[in-house]
Amino acid sequence: MIQDLFKSKKELFADGVQTVLRAHENRNRRVVILKGNMVQNSRSASRGISARVNNKGTFGFASVADYTPEAAEMVIKAATENAMFLGKHSSRNVQLPASLGTGEVALNGEIIDVEQKLIIEACKTLDDYIVKKYPDLKSRTVVYTEDSQDKIIYTSDAHDGHVVIPRCYIYVMLSSETKDGTPIELFKALGGYGSFYDHFGNLEKYYPEIDQLYQRVMDKTEGVYAEAGYKTVVLGPNMAGMLAHEAVGHTVEADLVKAGSVAGPSLNKQVASELVTMVDYANIYEGKQAELPVYLDDEGTIGTDAVLIKDGILVGYMNDRETAEEFNVKPNGNARGWNYSDEPIIRMRNTAILPGKSSLDEMIASVEDGYYLIESGNGQADLTGEFMFSVNCGYEIKNGKLGKALLDTTVSGVAFDMLKTVDMVSSEMEWVSSGFCGKKQPMAVSMGGPNMRCKIMIGGR
Amino acid sequence: MSNIREKADLFDKIIKDTGITKYKYTLVNSEKRELNLESGDFKLFRTVFSNSGSIKVFKDNKTGSASGNDISEEGLKGLAKDALVSAESSQEDPAHDIAPKVDPHVFKQGVLEPDVDKFIERIKELLDTIAKEYPLVKVFSSIGSYDRYNWFSRNSNGTEFEGFGGSYGISIEICATDGKATTGMDYTGVDMINLDTPIIELGDIRAHLRDIEKSLYPESIEGKFEGAVIFTPASTGDFISSVLGNYISDGVIIEGTSQWLDKVGEQVASDKLTVRLDPFDERINIGERATSNGFLSEAVTLIDKGVLKTHWLSLYAANKTGRPVVKNTGFDLIVEPGDKSFDEMLSSIDKGLILGRFSGGNPGANGEFSGVAKSSFLIENGKIKCAVTEAMISGNLGDVVKNIRSISKELCCNGGAVVPYIAVDGITISGK
Repeated sequence: MIQDLFKSKKELFADGVQTVLRAHENRNRRVVILKGNMVQNSRSASRGISARVNNKGTFGFASVADYTPEAAEMVIKAATENAMFLGKHSSRNVQLPASLGTGEVALNGEIIDVEQKLIIEACKTLDDYIVKKYPDLKSRTVVYTEDSQDKIIYTSDAHDGHVVIPRCYIYVMLSSETKDGTPIELFKALGGYGSFYDHFGNLEKYYPEIDQLYQRVMDKTEGVYAEAGYKTVVLGPNMAGMLAHEAVGHTVEADLVKAGSVAGPSLNKQVASELVTMVDYANIYEGKQAELPVYLDDEGTIGTDAVLIKDGILVGYMNDRETAEEFNVKPNGNARGWNYSDEPIIRMRNTAILPGKSSLDEMIASVEDGYYLIESGNGQADLTGEFMFSVNCGYEIKNGKLGKALLDTTVSGVAFDMLKTVDMVSSEMEWVSSGFCGKKQPMAVSMGGPNMRCKIMIGGR
Repeated sequence: MSNIREKADLFDKIIKDTGITKYKYTLVNSEKRELNLESGDFKLFRTVFSNSGSIKVFKDNKTGSASGNDISEEGLKGLAKDALVSAESSQEDPAHDIAPKVDPHVFKQGVLEPDVDKFIERIKELLDTIAKEYPLVKVFSSIGSYDRYNWFSRNSNGTEFEGFGGSYGISIEICATDGKATTGMDYTGVDMINLDTPIIELGDIRAHLRDIEKSLYPESIEGKFEGAVIFTPASTGDFISSVLGNYISDGVIIEGTSQWLDKVGEQVASDKLTVRLDPFDERINIGERATSNGFLSEAVTLIDKGVLKTHWLSLYAANKTGRPVVKNTGFDLIVEPGDKSFDEMLSSIDKGLILGRFSGGNPGANGEFSGVAKSSFLIENGKIKCAVTEAMISGNLGDVVKNIRSISKELCCNGGAVVPYIAVDGITISGK
């Protein structure tokens, strides 16, 4: 845990501006075992301090890879000078956002480090399980990856606090090939928020998930290409979560709304079926801690939920303090930076489409000719909401029953068009927290969703 | 900037005191000055003073690594200890090694003293020119950055390299709007080592501005057809990168899943295609000078007139597979030009697509890809018919490089890569 050495430096904050001082450490642990060979075995950490100064809408930011009181003094001075320097070249003259109160947020948890040999042993245990039980696989890769953020925030007119977000995963990737020798692969991320022992003290609990992954790989060796076209599909929870984040979430980030996203003219309008409600949760979901809880953001705003779509109506955006002032709403704590040297920008946290009342079984049974799309490798979208997701695990649905597995394909569409076609939403709900979002900086985010029946463009061959 | 060489001397002593006998390390001191603009106005000035240190330790055919940004004496002690403990916990694999001794070298590249005022003027000039010459284009975000570094590496074989460098970079995110219609987002950027030329004349910035203005009223493609696709330089770079990753990089050769596993010396692509990694090409601003394995970097031809000359293997992968190491771990990509102008390429195509940007998943191990054609235009009878929306393309990476019909004389040089337009037959193009 990083130590609070800098509180007294708040005395150096300049008058008439808004200042945030952030002491910040990120830690990473990584082990990669590729086909039994350890090709990576590393530990890393980055630690430093930064300051950001808002002078009438012109911002100065400075950071240094040092963790001393002298470094804090230096970045406060440099950030203040940067803000003043840029003010000479900028015509921005924005009223500073009003204070929403001050106070202190208590530390929310701890980051527990373990020896590298325990991580290696865990990876080898899973690798041994795979190679012994499934010797027919062409290849397998086991990757342990852990990243944690530890931040102390000091502000001129908002909340101070000390917050941590630790998370760790083991990725299992299995490869085989079709009868004609075409290689195929699938992966699964195991783990979540917390430290090593929160997830990997007992590895046997993951064997059923590895068994299921193997079965899906074997199904895929007999896979077929999807028939290209506009199809009725059931999107699995991970696909729905990807849709929530990529295709809708980014368009309702207020900085991108200002840039001209489709959400600008759509506020308070029907953008989805009334079965669709979407929320960016701060730290609690249904009474339990959210996947990657954010209690305090990097502007000193306390994390609260941002309701984005309610019963199909677009009702809000995600903001930082400046855009919230501009849109005349309260910020929810979405301004975050990834590294100590990154300025806070508007980021999603735990973004999800909420569950409905149908069941997966009845949804599949309702589809005469379509697809059940389960896992996405990655996805992209732009400001119009036009999206593309790769699909690396899915099945045909024929006459209400699952058919053959699918080879890799892609789905695409325009989010606010596609969401209007949603006519069934399941009560089952799943979250994925292993992802990184890229928007100038990386950011740990989680996304969730139910199964959804809808119409979508699917690419074939 | 602190004296990185003095830090290295201190690290040597710490390494020796820790009992480490075989190692390689790199220490870096860097500085960034970044200007962020929103809707054409300066919003944020960011300065970053950064350090980093990384060490890889070898012990009894085991290896472990550690890295961090604390290069104080205490921080360096922590790195050495962490790397040693990791190595001791690891498994034996004699393929891990470091390059043989190379005589000391000092490399200096780029611009070491920035002219921030002139850089600001060039950025303002860029935005003013866009506003004047491309009135429908909205630059909603731009980032100008000057980055300077000093790195120092040593290994236990006695190799010592030091590098100094600095460069300017700018990226812009753009869309077009006429009040009623808005396009999707496009982006481009360049790296520079001087400020002699107006930024708008560099890389493919004008091409992106021209194309986004023409994308305001896109049309949907009806049905599905197989046609020719002209990859723009931006999409060519992405596809060549995917080809190298899928067929000749460390992971797929070690795994044995590459479809080019035993194809060295054989024709794997059209004889029109030559792909090189050349950090010494004068069009590359800051080329790699030393590899991460401890070799002096060399220019390498990966594909010569369609023939695969070598896999692109690190020292570890080379030792692991018994294949030759490639002394190049950067990505200073040069794709050789062809003999057709872009206009000649376009006029020869009956039906196809100009692919501005590919928005799709990473191709699978089999090379199959499918995704959305962004910033793209439909070609009919040798002419651009219209911009397209919700168009998808699909194909196979191996087929793409085999089915090249022509490569342009025109090249896009953005400071980090030199890439032409490439026209490819047999791509599946589909609409709604």
